[in-house]
Amino acid sequence: MLHRLESLESCNYNGMEARLKWQQQNYVVQNNNLVELCAGSLPQFQGLIGSNLGGAQMIELKRPEVFLGSVDFQEFVNFPVVGPEFGDSEKLDLVPPEAATNYCIFRTSSCQMSALNTSVMKEEREDLILEKMESATGIGRESFNKRKAEAVADHKSKDKRIKGEGESEVKANCSTEISRNSSKKSSKASEVLKPDYIHVRARRGQATDSHSLAERARREKLSKKMKCLQDLVPGCNKITSKAGMLDEIINYVQSLQRQVEFLSMKIAALNSSVETLPMKEFPAYVANFPAAAKLPETADLPYFQLNPLQNQSVNCMLNESMLPPQTGAEGIASPSVSSSSSMTQLQPFSTWNTDPQGLSNMYNMGFH
Amino acid sequence: MDLQNLNPSSLKSRFTARFLRALTEINAPKTISSSSPREIFQRYRRIKVAADKSMAYSVRSRRIWSRATLWRLRTRSRSRRLVSFGRRASVKTRTTASHGKENKEHHGAVLGVQAEELRELVPGGEAMDLCNLLDETAHYIKCLTTQVQVMRTIANLYSIE
Repeated sequence: MLHRLESLESCNYNGMEARLKWQQQNYVVQNNNLVELCAGSLPQFQGLIGSNLGGAQMIELKRPEVFLGSVDFQEFVNFPVVGPEFGDSEKLDLVPPEAATNYCIFRTSSCQMSALNTSVMKEEREDLILEKMESATGIGRESFNKRKAEAVADHKSKDKRIKGEGESEVKANCSTEISRNSSKKSSKASEVLKPDYIHVRARRGQATDSHSLAERARREKLSKKMKCLQDLVPGCNKITSKAGMLDEIINYVQSLQRQVEFLSMKIAALNSSVETLPMKEFPAYVANFPAAAKLPETADLPYFQLNPLQNQSVNCMLNESMLPPQTGAEGIASPSVSSSSSMTQLQPFSTWNTDPQGLSNMYNMGFH
Repeated sequence: MDLQNLNPSSLKSRFTARFLRALTEINAPKTISSSSPREIFQRYRRIKVAADKSMAYSVRSRRIWSRATLWRLRTRSRSRRLVSFGRRASVKTRTTASHGKENKEHHGAVLGVQAEELRELVPGGEAMDLCNLLDETAHYIKCLTTQVQVMRTIANLYSIE
């Protein structure tokens, strides 16, 4: 156990002493509490401590296996920082006063299960310190994002491995400090510390299992992408469910594909009755056509006057595709598309209808 | 809005250029009998293929769906030419389809039915997980809208004259 003490000693920070003094003034925990708590198991210990201190700070821990640091506050203890009781500790005489705050935690850990590492406690205590000492020190602040606790997996905990560091890094990143201090109990995604890990914070009250965290990250990615799609597909602002959104997306893609077919058919039909057009200036002209999207909506109807032969070919094409009429709320109520679908609804055409006049009548009907 | 369209390397202008070139090729062999329904239907087919092909070429191979579209068009043209080897080609397509179906079973079944439908719609969507599928769908939708806009303009220009 002494080697652990030494490791703790080596982890002193700059503003440590000031913090210690402040805490010794403010925190007092009785010895008998510690003994009681030591006797119990870890969860009980946590509960008791939490209830005793009520309003102590939250602590967090890094989980390096998926590198999803968890801010699962309910799981962790609000460790007290013992003040003047240090002197009473008979086991820890050797430890200098700077590491006095380590004592209590170390002692409690030694009382309880041996598996729980003191550096874990140290981590938690430091978080505690920083939480309290927001305004006090600006220097020795640490980024919790970069600290890892070394420990053997506690058999009573959920079989998680906690890696630790011998030294703590002092990170002068004010933004993370501020965000961390301002949102103690909220979640955020931390930056990549190691190149092969992605660090994500788990929210309060959620499972910290590596599988569930990975699952949650995946779900969040999916929801982000669904939001992007929501911007693309018109008329999807009201739909909140994923299934509804997917239905809308499917409808939209289908309608777009049908529009392409319809337009290619239209071009084919119109080509037959039109001479060659000047193609050289076309690309720029077509690309720069103002309101190209808006104009055809109204322009399609009066222009689409097919001769009977073209009607036949159109019918043939429509039968060929035989697309089911869309009853879903399509974002683009393109008249051409809706009219074509209404055409298929009106009558099931057989191919090569021999009544051109009837066809042209049908067409004009359909387009109005 | 016009300033955006002036970008010569945008998707829209690339697609427009290619598509118009293809159209001129299709319209070039113009005969009197080209107004029969069958001819129109054939031309429609060719124009549709040209539209899809030019859009896929404009996207290059950056996207899974564009690669799938190009591959599909090439195999179809190949299978059409090699009539005697038609069975082999169909076997090829069948194997890819079955492989795609195996993948479907493994995917997370949160929204299984709709995901399957979406996979059928988006070319090359059979072998993608939901995450990539949504990305591809977004890009595909964007390209489809561009295609529809350009083709509509062309059709209007044709009909005006």
